[in-house]
Amino acid sequence: MSNATRSNATLTNANPNRNPNAAINLADHALVLVIVCLIALISNWTGTGTGPITALPGMLIIYGMVFAGLVLAKLMPFYLPSVAWISLISVGMTMPAFPASEWLLGYLKEISFLSLVSPVLAYAGLAISKLEIETFKRSGVKILLIALLVFTGTFVGSAFIADLML
Amino acid sequence: MNSLSGQLTNWRLHLLVVLISVLAELIGIIKIPLGIGSIVLLPLFYAFIMGLLVNPNIIKKAKALISNEKAAMATPVILISVLPFIAKFGTLIGPAFEKILAVGPAMILQELGNLGTLLIAMPVAILLLRMGRESIGACFSIAREPNIALISDRYGLKNPEGIGVMGVYVMGTMFGTLFFALLASFLATTGLFDIRALAMACGVGSGSMTAACSGALASSVPAMKDEILALAGASNLLTNATGLYLGLFVALPLAEKLYVLLSKETTTAALQQRSSGNV
Repeated sequence: MSNATRSNATLTNANPNRNPNAAINLADHALVLVIVCLIALISNWTGTGTGPITALPGMLIIYGMVFAGLVLAKLMPFYLPSVAWISLISVGMTMPAFPASEWLLGYLKEISFLSLVSPVLAYAGLAISKLEIETFKRSGVKILLIALLVFTGTFVGSAFIADLML
Repeated sequence: MNSLSGQLTNWRLHLLVVLISVLAELIGIIKIPLGIGSIVLLPLFYAFIMGLLVNPNIIKKAKALISNEKAAMATPVILISVLPFIAKFGTLIGPAFEKILAVGPAMILQELGNLGTLLIAMPVAILLLRMGRESIGACFSIAREPNIALISDRYGLKNPEGIGVMGVYVMGTMFGTLFFALLASFLATTGLFDIRALAMACGVGSGSMTAACSGALASSVPAMKDEILALAGASNLLTNATGLYLGLFVALPLAEKLYVLLSKETTTAALQQRSSGNV
């Protein structure tokens, strides 16, 4: 009984109309994005051999798409994760029906998507905190086993349904 | 989210990331044959491992390279550094939009596959490992940021449900990308599933998990590279848009029901065992 009232009270708090993205600081994001894109250009250079000057227009397009997505995420009256906004923009602008899609894709092909992820994972490795190591040590093998089952269950569940439907 | 101010002066962190990325890209993609399949190692794994090796929280000697405080400033940067990649991913989806529409029903319904974790992980957590309410947080979803927000809102992160979701989140951060990539490239070579189905399944996790998974899949089946990346990206986009709501309205209520059902079973089983022992 008390459980039910508790979850009811918190459910109203979880109202999706409250947009947590309204707190995004666009200036800070714009600045850090510059650093991140510069690093991505270097990573792309070593990964694909495409020089930073050749890849620059593509990277500028990506920068513009990300920033536009952040602006939408901040200003819209309802909540969608900023990654969803950014995807909607980048998908929309490269669909064949979009007038400039061919022109955009000509520049975007100079950027390898895998090279964009290497810096992300480097940051992720550096960001692992004492707290996370503690969590790992405390719950250790048990939670690792559960996590691997969670990943496998989700992946195989999804692949299974997709396979049936194709 | 932590503050982003002061990132410009933290040049040591960014320089380390540059060096790591360059080294990782120079090593390149490595394929390892394994039994009936083969697994694919990507530069992003090496980047993660090198990141761990210069993390002062893990390797004490790394303090000479970067202080704990400066390394901790990497946390808010991860969320931003993943955005250009999300945009690039979108630009792979756009041109393939018609192909994605053609597999539309599969694409939408495979989102329900996220519930597969309840079927596989939850019974093991409760019946085998005898976990308590942690199992609800740990098993109801793949534990990415929206799911943590949901659990935090509903139960609080200090409660068992919160500890469960954080545990899986940490494991996902550490091993998720690697595990998904290995799983996908391995399953691809076994021929059990349609490659397009595996590509869609690659989208169930975070952006970097999707990248690793579809990157490895594309290296295993190079002929289908564009289609694989587009389907995985579209699936991840759909997960981002619907994940919170699937969790809130379907997965979490189901996890609660399943918990009551399974934990009752364990108590009656325990009772039976006890009573039969008495006899």
